[in-house]
Order: sequence, then structure tokens, then C-alpha cells
Amino acid sequence: MKALLRPSVVSAACLVSLCACSVSVLLDSALAADRPAAAPPSQTVVIPGPLRSFLRMAGVSQKIPPDEVLPLLARNVILRGYENDNETEFLILIDRYLHQARELQALAGPAQEIRTANCADAANLIHILGYQLRYPCGQKNNALVTANPERAFLTTDSGFPLTTLEEALDKDAPFSYYYPSTAVPVLFSESAWVQIGSPRKRREGNLADVLLHDRDVARLYSAMAKIDTETAASLVQAPGLGKLIPVAAVLNFYGSQLCIRSGRVNVPGGPDADAGWTDLVGASPRSPADFATHLMTKDNGWLAVYYDVLARVDLTQQKRLTQPARLKHLYEAYRSAGIDPGATRSVFRKGSELLVLFTRLDWDAAGQPYVPGNLEIWGEILNNQKNAFKPGRDYARRSRSWKSPDQLLEALVAYARLESDSSPLQIYLALTEIDRARPPKMRLSDGAVRVLASKYARYHAWFLAFSEFPELNDTAITRFVTVADSVDSISNPALRGNALGAFQANLSLWQILARQGEIPSAQMNSSWQAAVEPFAKISASNQLFDAARSSLGGVMIGAAGNSNLSQDELVSLLAGPPQNTPEGRRMHREMVAKIHSVLEDQRLASLDTLFALNDGLKEMAHGAKVGDRLLPLAGDLHEFELPRPIFTESEKIDWAPVVYSTRHAELQIRTDLTKIIKSSGSPAQLETARGQLAPFLRDTLVGLNYAYYEPPGAQVLHNNPLFVRSHDFSGITMVGGEPFWGAPELFGVGATAGGGAYLIGSLADLPYALATMEEDFIAPENVQALIWKELVPDLLVGSTLPRWWNVSPDELHAVALYQRCGEGLLVAGVNNAELRTKLGQVLSDRIAPQRLEWIDETLAHNNPNEILPRMLPSETFYLGVEFRRRFPQDFASSGSDAAAIEALGARNPAAIDPERLSRDFGVPHPTLAHTYGRDLLHMKQLPAFGGYGARLFGESWESGNLYWARLADEMGYPPVMLNRLAPELTLHMTARIFATDIEDWPAVLRAMRETGEQFRQGKLAPVSPATTVSQRSGDSEQETATGGIR
Amino acid sequence: MRRVAALCCFSILFFSARARTAGQEDTSPIRVNVVLVQLNVAVTDGKGNYISGLRPENFAITEDKIPEKIATFEEGGEPIQRLIPGPGSPVQMVSEGSGTPSQPAVQDSGESAPAARLSGANVFILFDTSNYMYRGFVYAQDSIADFVRSLEGVNKVAFYSYSRDLSRATPLTGDRSKVLLGVRNTVAGDNAALYNSLLLTVKDAAPLKGKKAIVVFSNGPDDASSVPPEDVTELAQSTGTIIYMISTQQAQNDPVSEAVFERVSKATGGKAYFARNWRDERKAFASIREDLAHLYSLSYYPASNPNRGWRTINVKLVGKDVQKYRVRTRDGYRLLQTAQVNSASTGSTETQSAPE
Repeated sequence: MKALLRPSVVSAACLVSLCACSVSVLLDSALAADRPAAAPPSQTVVIPGPLRSFLRMAGVSQKIPPDEVLPLLARNVILRGYENDNETEFLILIDRYLHQARELQALAGPAQEIRTANCADAANLIHILGYQLRYPCGQKNNALVTANPERAFLTTDSGFPLTTLEEALDKDAPFSYYYPSTAVPVLFSESAWVQIGSPRKRREGNLADVLLHDRDVARLYSAMAKIDTETAASLVQAPGLGKLIPVAAVLNFYGSQLCIRSGRVNVPGGPDADAGWTDLVGASPRSPADFATHLMTKDNGWLAVYYDVLARVDLTQQKRLTQPARLKHLYEAYRSAGIDPGATRSVFRKGSELLVLFTRLDWDAAGQPYVPGNLEIWGEILNNQKNAFKPGRDYARRSRSWKSPDQLLEALVAYARLESDSSPLQIYLALTEIDRARPPKMRLSDGAVRVLASKYARYHAWFLAFSEFPELNDTAITRFVTVADSVDSISNPALRGNALGAFQANLSLWQILARQGEIPSAQMNSSWQAAVEPFAKISASNQLFDAARSSLGGVMIGAAGNSNLSQDELVSLLAGPPQNTPEGRRMHREMVAKIHSVLEDQRLASLDTLFALNDGLKEMAHGAKVGDRLLPLAGDLHEFELPRPIFTESEKIDWAPVVYSTRHAELQIRTDLTKIIKSSGSPAQLETARGQLAPFLRDTLVGLNYAYYEPPGAQVLHNNPLFVRSHDFSGITMVGGEPFWGAPELFGVGATAGGGAYLIGSLADLPYALATMEEDFIAPENVQALIWKELVPDLLVGSTLPRWWNVSPDELHAVALYQRCGEGLLVAGVNNAELRTKLGQVLSDRIAPQRLEWIDETLAHNNPNEILPRMLPSETFYLGVEFRRRFPQDFASSGSDAAAIEALGARNPAAIDPERLSRDFGVPHPTLAHTYGRDLLHMKQLPAFGGYGARLFGESWESGNLYWARLADEMGYPPVMLNRLAPELTLHMTARIFATDIEDWPAVLRAMRETGEQFRQGKLAPVSPATTVSQRSGDSEQETATGGIR
Repeated sequence: MRRVAALCCFSILFFSARARTAGQEDTSPIRVNVVLVQLNVAVTDGKGNYISGLRPENFAITEDKIPEKIATFEEGGEPIQRLIPGPGSPVQMVSEGSGTPSQPAVQDSGESAPAARLSGANVFILFDTSNYMYRGFVYAQDSIADFVRSLEGVNKVAFYSYSRDLSRATPLTGDRSKVLLGVRNTVAGDNAALYNSLLLTVKDAAPLKGKKAIVVFSNGPDDASSVPPEDVTELAQSTGTIIYMISTQQAQNDPVSEAVFERVSKATGGKAYFARNWRDERKAFASIREDLAHLYSLSYYPASNPNRGWRTINVKLVGKDVQKYRVRTRDGYRLLQTAQVNSASTGSTETQSAPE
């Protein structure tokens, strides 16, 4: 039996979206001082029994406010309640629970308390609970045992205090349990929903029962809960809830951006775009009911997708994209792939590719879409596509007569309907990002564009290096592609796998050192090419060893000016640049130790041993007598042991997945160089022996990368000594495998006889792959919570990939001040309507109107303390930065934190530069911006998508490092401590997340603030008082302790 | 590879020479830790009856075929006998506490063991709450609750549950009511990551001294673990943690799970039980309790051994009347790094297990 009982928190796909409106709305009215408060829900519905119990049974976080109960119940009913039109166990259990709860409610009576005087008095209660006493009342050591498993399951699963009852029964003592029912708010009115439900499905009970058994009503309820109050009220009035039932699915996915104000729809692009939308939709925005109905009905929901995406991008992009001709042509292109299947057929919403394109689209000086290379090349790119995507072929044909970049944009929009990670749209996005990072005079040459495009399908995961490091020129790009092709062409699978691993490992080490600023900009090109070139021609293992060593030497020269560093020296480089403060040196030692720890636990051969053996074998080939020196080294190499098997070979054949292989590790076990050293073999034999070192070298180089990107709380890296060795670079453990250059994927999970999980693919995106695996070892702190698989890897990567070696205390202080300035401005808005309007203008860039409406109302009601804990640090930081930019006079006079920023800026202008702070405290956006460079993109929190867009939600979470940095500053930690604090605090935060769905970012915020509070109280990070540091100059001097999390 | 010499041996009591010089500059390239290897040994006759009353001289221990001297000896809850000194201590043979002299070997009566025999033991219960367990969920809870109540004399008990993730429902505590609360507060989950969760539990148990056991109650199939059972077994062996496994009939229908359950438990000195119904489950729990109560605890300081990999332990009975009995204990250990046995708990004050 393997049926899903309930959606234990965020375990899989969901449909919920965040509510947002067209930005233009905000400028019109959302924060206007005289705007009436939205009408509160007028009715409630009673949930029998404690709310906590009901939420447990409904798979809803027990930390939500009451007004979210019914929307989330509706959401879970849609997602989990039905399978092939049959009600699932999930629904059956909630239904049974409600019946049991009503029985208990009756027992509790008007006093809402279940009371039993003694053991004998508890018979009825015990019966309802599904238990019986083991012995008659009065006997010692009595206990409850299951009598009715169905009822008993509900009892324990809903969290009834069974042990308290057992104790009372054992002592023949009274038992009492407060058993309140809870009234939770209803959208509009209960009767409005009951009336539109199917009479066939109408049962006894209240709206909760209707939602459970009528999924059409549930879907519409979920949809309406995401729409702002004024828009929702308008839709209820016309066309009315009943007429919205048929479009509930579309509305649920794509309706949250719909925004009706004062009897008109505020469309993306503002009033200037009214005509265009009227034309597309077939109804005027001035007729909201018609407009909404047509929008949701037309083209099987695809027009609604288009509308939804445009409404989510910033106002500047909206204005450009909704110019009348462009709006229509782009939609025609988007629709060209057809309207079947509909936009709601999948469990995930559509439009992620289009959203990324419209968000990141760049424009040239003439206001035309930016074109990397030229239109002719893009015609070639389209014509070179070998897929069966018909619109793509049509646009390729038409490309010969292209005159305008808009025509290319239309083709790209058409390709946004194709789910692919290497379509022309993806090529365009990647190339645009490379050019965006480069100075205007260094844009990609036509030749480089052709090379990148032609090899995109194979190497695209590696092209992120060229957008992260714009110093790498076109030659660096073309040489990489040429050499990668050469490595790819190695015919021997084992040699190819080792070459791929060593090549990629060295380039990844280069990226680490370049990212940490240890490879100077001026040397990036030369050191990159020194790392790449040695692999240009590999035909034997001894050549590979020499190439890998030479390549590593090139990386070392770039970073340290010396190609012969020892392993300890290399590890020291990787751990971070040299530090000149006691705290910095201590943290650096800690990072060194972490890397060593992984290398030890993976039982990897030392580079020093390998290089010494290699050199010695070479010397022997020339007649030198160095055997005595080499034998201990060869012994070290032979020391590696596989874990003791618990399966026989035949059992493994029968039980392990077909693709499983430990051949790479087993070959190493059999490698014994002592014989050849003792026998002083021939030069050819000694060369062969040298070649046997190549797999060891590959593993150590790969292991250095694994160790560097170790996620917090990692277990596999320390407990499966085959993990690094099992990395399959050439797909030989897959049926029909071929060399992979893409992001590594986790294989072997849940294969008990398979020897453990391992990665197949390249080293690109390694941090994410490691986080994906290690997240399963984080133990949630809340009962019923699970680790949020779709989000947590991004959270972990966002805290481990950035390092803070080059961040000054002034920068750390600035990032805290900006956040406090943002909060101060909100507080100041309480009694200042004019200020609130300005705040709304700034915040509308990154907060959806439904929430902005709530902020405005709460401030108007003089309650800022309710708002501040629910503001994202990325929002308050943005507010501080952007308000200062737009309203410098107002900012300067807004309070002491603003004054401190100005004073800091006067003394150290670079420290308060938003771009610099963005690089310091940002996160990587490999999906959204095709780079691992750290940045703050200041977007609205994105919704959850499937497939290509699955990581967008996580990448749009930019609050973590900002918040940890603020904590560090306020508690007096130096910036280098963030190298430990950020990953560790993120780990704690992750364990605390108690979310209901995969867009539940308020749950992430709650967990983050809880973690921060515990940290402030010293509960998470016992701080060593041994060292104090006097920090900063400028504002107040503080004597503070340094230390960290244990 | 040289660095292996600096690893902390963790089997499990430390009497580190380095520890006494803490704070001094360590310039030695190779650091040596003197460790005490502790073994929990069950001795039974051909019918499975426990044999009590054996003396230290009845046991012969070898590690990689190197004879070892027993340093401490304990039977059940009897006082610990120190037979040879730890580093820096004078050689003497002492019996701690006021226990009576050891008696000649006798078959145990089979009656329920007194609580005193369990004293000092720490028990972790790991409960499968994946959907695999759904149908038998409440019966399993009943059995576990009975087991917890029966653990009188045990030092501390922890109750963990797992599905895809581990939940430390009740960290190690001496308060049985908290454990029962944890048992009755479990909720059904989704996938089953038994070996991931078992690894984390072994790591939580690792720092504890004395007798420690993990009792796994599982339906068997694992569909979500990324560590293999081999690695978990080695860690349990190397940290001296006994693993008992109780599974429902479903595990026996899965040959992989059946094999793993039997071999993991055997390798760590524990036992596997396959229960067809809730009555069998109760019997299995009772059997585990008896087993824990009848274990001999032996320890030794390893003689000089150049092997830095897996070390094989062999325990034999000595004496003409006792050689016929069967011995069950772990069959070896591996030197570990400290990082490998550090608790994986995120360490908040509310949830962190409290090492002894």
C-alpha cells in the first residue's frame, strides 16, 4: 500500500499563486490616503474541534492565521483530493475526522470541554476515540489499546492528548480537555458558496464540507482568495460566482494579477494599452465582467497566461511590451503553437519561459529588443534547429526577410511555448546575459555568437562562467569549446570519463578562485586558457595525468603565481584569500579544516602523494633508484578500502539497478604500484603505471570541488566514501549514456542494494546537486513538516556559494542600516499619507498589490508593528535604497539610520553603493539570469513553476543573506563570520520552515525570523567570549564578542 | 592518507593522551589516540536462552587476530569491574559499587529481567511513519508505547520517527511520559528513507557512553535513502551501537529489506524480528528488552595495530563448560574522523539530543 494520505507540507506540485496586480494600479489608488479599507470577511464557518487538529488532518501548516484556513483547505482538496475522479484517502480521512470531531464536540457540550470524572466515566469518550482499556478500571499499569483502528488513527493523527487520558485512566483520576470549535473567516458569505455548489454534491455540514466534496467550488474559492478585495468584490457582483465556476481553473492559475479599480480593469501597460487589450481579449477593460470572462475563456487559457506574465514584469518592461502592435504580434507568436492542450492541463502553471524572457529582455538605444550578434546569425540559429517544433520552422523560414529585432522577439516568444533547455530562446537569454555583463565595446563577436549557439545544447551549463566572468574574452570561449569537443571525442569510455572529470574539476576550481577574487581580473584570460589548453589532445592515461597536473598548475599560477603548490597550500587558497585579522585567520582555518574533513572522509589520495609517485616513476624510467622512497607512497595509495559489503555479488546483480557500477572505485582498489616499483619495470611499464594514477588524480580534483561546496549539515559527503568516486561523468552507468556536460543529477536514491546515491553529469551546478542530496538529512522541527524539496537547495546554495572574505565592516553595517531605514520609513508612514503614497510607488516594484493594499490599510490603522515582522528583508532593503534614490531629501530627514547611512557614505561612498552591496549580499540566479554571479534582482517573489522554471521561486528569494548580515552587524560579528553564520543559520531556518504549499514564502520568512530571534538570544550560537573585536569607525563603537554556531 | 593517523577512534570511550595536554602546541606529525573499544556481548545456548554468570576469564578477544586484554567487564546491571588501568592509572583489579561476586555460568530462568539489568543503557526508538506503515500505524504505536513503559531501569530513551525526513519527536530523556507523548503524537508521512534516518540516529547515539541501542520499527522497503545500508552498518559498528530491527510481514515479502534487516542487526550485535501481527510485534519488543538486560559489556584498549582500515573483532568463550554457547556481538570497527560521528542535529535547544 502506498497511497498519499495527505500533502505533508510542501512535498510536491501545487497550483497556488501569489496575488498580484498590475503595477499601474498602485500608482492609481492602492496606497492612496483616502482609500477605504477593504471589507473584512463578513461571515465565519465553524470548524469542529481544535483548529490545530483540523489543520493536521488537512495537511495545512499549524502556523497560519485563521483567514487562510479555508483557502488552503480548498487548495489541498484540488491538489490531493481526487484521483481519476475518485476521492482519495486524504479526503476520506478529513471527512472521517470531521465526523469524529463533531461527536467529541457534542461530548464537550456548550462548555467546550471534554470532562470525565474517573475511569468508568470515560467509556463513551474511549469508544469515540477508537480505543479500549487493556484491563478493567482500577487495575494498575492500565493503558489504552486500539479497538477501532480507523477511529484510533484519526485520534492520534489529529493530535488528541491520548497519553494524558491514559495517565488519568490509570490513576482513575478526572480528565479534562478543552475542546473548542473555531470560527474561521469565509470569503464573501457562506451561502454564496453553498448556492453555487452542485446539488448532487451538497451534503450536511457547512462550507468546509462543501469544499471537501465539490472541487469546482474549492477551485474557485482558492482562486478568489488570491485576488485583491476590490477586484474580488467586483467579480462577485458581475459576472457572479456562479458564472465564474467554468473558468475557475484558469482563474486559479492566472487570475491573481487581475485588477479592477473604479469599474475598470487596470491592464498591464496601463491605460495606454487599453486598446490593445480590448482588441486581444474582445472586451473592453472598462467592462470588467466581460473582460475578465473573455480573458479567462479565450484560447483555452493561453491569453490568460500571456496577461499574467505581462502583469508580473516591471512597469518599464510592460510599457515597452504592450505597445499596440507589439502586444498583438507577440501574442500571435505565443499562440502560434496552438491552444491545445489548455493552459490548465498540467499540475503546474505555464509561462515560466515567457516570464524569464520578458523579465530579462534587454533593449538597445533605439528602444528595440537587444540582439546579440545580428539578425542574420539568428536566422541561421533558427534554421539550424533540428526539433519538430512547427512554429520554430515557420519562423526560421521567415527569418530570411527579417528587418527588425521585433521579428526575432516574436520568434523567441513562439519558442517560449516549447519546453526545452536549449531552444533558441535559451540561447538568446544566455547570450544576452553575457553581453549585459560586458562593457559595450567588448560585446560578443559574430563568430563567438555562432560558436556559442552551435554548441549550446551540449555545453550550455558551462557558458554561465562567461556571464559570471565578463573578463573572459571570445578567445577563451572558443578555446573552451574546441578543447571540450576534443575531450568529448576520446573513444575509450574510462579515459573519457577521467578526462571529463579532471577537465571540469580544474575549470571549477578556477571559477572558485576567480569568484573569491584570488585570480586578478587581468590574469583571468591567461589562467583560464592555461587551465583549458593541456586537455586539447589526450589519447592515453599518462597524458591525461600530465594534462590535469599542468592545467591545475595554470590555475595555481593565476591565483598564487606558483604552479607547484602542495595540497595543503591549494586547500588554503580554496578556503579563501589570506586574512589579516585574527577573526579572519580563525575563520580561514575553519574553512581549511572543513575541506580537509571531506577529503579525508572520501578517503581520497593526496595530490602530494600522486605527484610524488608520478615524478618518481618518471625518474625510474630514466634509471633513477628511487623505489624505497616510492614504496610508502604506493602503500598509501593502496590503503583505500571499499565499505564492507552486506550483499553478495549475485544479490547485487539481482537487486541493484541495472545501471549500478562501482567499477571506477574497484579499479582503484586493484591498483597496486608496489609490484612495478619493486620490480623496476621497463619504461613502458612505468608509463602505464603513471597512467594508473590518472583516476586517482581525477577523484581528488573532483573531491576538492565537492568539499568546497559542502552544504551545511552534509552527511553523505562524510559517510559514503564512494560518493566522489562514483561520479559518472560520461554516462557509462546509464543505458545508452553519453558524455554529459549538463547539470549533474542524482541517481540511485532508494536503491538499497545500489551502493548509495551518486551524481551523473558534469560539475556545472554542483552546489545545487549536492544541496539536493544533503537536504534529505535535515530534520524538520515541526511535527508533520517536511523539507521543502523545491526550495531548500536554492536556499542552501544561496548561503554556501557566496563568501564574505572581501566584505568590509562598513558594507556589513550599510546593509543593516538600509534595512532599518526601510522599516523606519514604514513606521513614519503611519501618520503621513503623502509619505505612504511615495512608499507605495517604491514598493510597487516588488510587492504585489494585494499585500500592498494590506500594508497601506495596516499603516493607516496605526499598526506598524504588525507589518514589520511580515516584511521581507529584501523589501526593506530595497525600500531603503530606492527611496533614497528617488526621494533623497525625504530620505535624509527620515531618521537616525538614514543619517547614519549618509554619514557612512560621506566617509566611504563605496560602502553604501547598492550595486556593491548587491554583489556582497546577493544570491546566484543561474536559471533567471544565467549566471552564478551574486546579485539582488529586486523582483516580486515569483510563483512556482514546473520543469525549466522549477528553480525560479527559490532564486527570487533574496532575503537570507541580507538578514543574516544584519544580524551579524547588530551582534557585532565581523563580516568574515558570515562564512559560517550564513550556512548554519540557513540550515536552522530550513529545519524550522512549516509551509503548506510550494509558494508559501511567508512560512520561509517566519522560519527565518524565528531562527534570527533564537540566534539573538544565544540559543543557536553559543558565542565564545574569548575574543572581542572593536569594529567599525564612524558610528558608535562597540565591543563585541566573536564566535559562532557550534 | 597519512592523515588517517590523526583520526579519532570512536569505539567509543576516549582516554586520549592528547586530551591531557590540551592547550599545548602539538608539533607531532602523527597524533595517536588511545581508545577503549567497548563490546556488548550476548551469550546464549542452542535454544536461545541467555547464559549469565560468566566471568572475564571466560572471554577471549582478538582484534585482527591480535589478542586483547579485557579492561572492564560488566554483566547486566552489575557493577563494572576494572581489570586493567587506563592510561596513567595504576594497574589494579577492582569491582565498583557493592555488587556480589560473579556466580558460575547459569542458564537464565527466562523470567522477565529485573530493571536493574537495564541500568545505564540508552535506547533510541526509530518508528517508520511512511505510508507503508499506514494500516498498522495505531497497532504499532500501541506496541511501542508498551515497550517504552517496559523500559524500567533504562537510563534514557529517545523516540524518533521517519518518513522522507527524520523527526526527533522526543530527544533522549529520562522522562517516559515525554517519550509516550512523542509516540502518540506521530503523524503518517510519505516516502520511507530508513537508512538516511538510521544514519542520523546512529550519529546521535555515537557520543553516548555505555550500552546503547537503536530499535527500528519498520515496514521494510526504503524508497528515498541516499546512503546505503553498508555505510550505516559500519558507522553503527564503529560507534558500538546495537541495532535491533522489527519489521512487519511486508518486509519479508521484500527480499532486499529482509536481507538488510537481518545482516545489519547481526553485524551490530542486535537481532531482526519479522512480526506477522501486533502480537508478534509485542513479543519482539519483549525479546529486545530481555536481550538488552542480558548483555555483557566488555572493553579493551587495542594493542598496537598498524591497520588503519577495518579491524576485525573476534570474541570466543574460554573454558570447557562454556565453549558450547553462542556469542553475538559486533564483528569489527573502522577508525573514524570526529566529523563522521558528530551529531547531525541542527542543535536547537529544544530538539538537540543530550549526550551523556
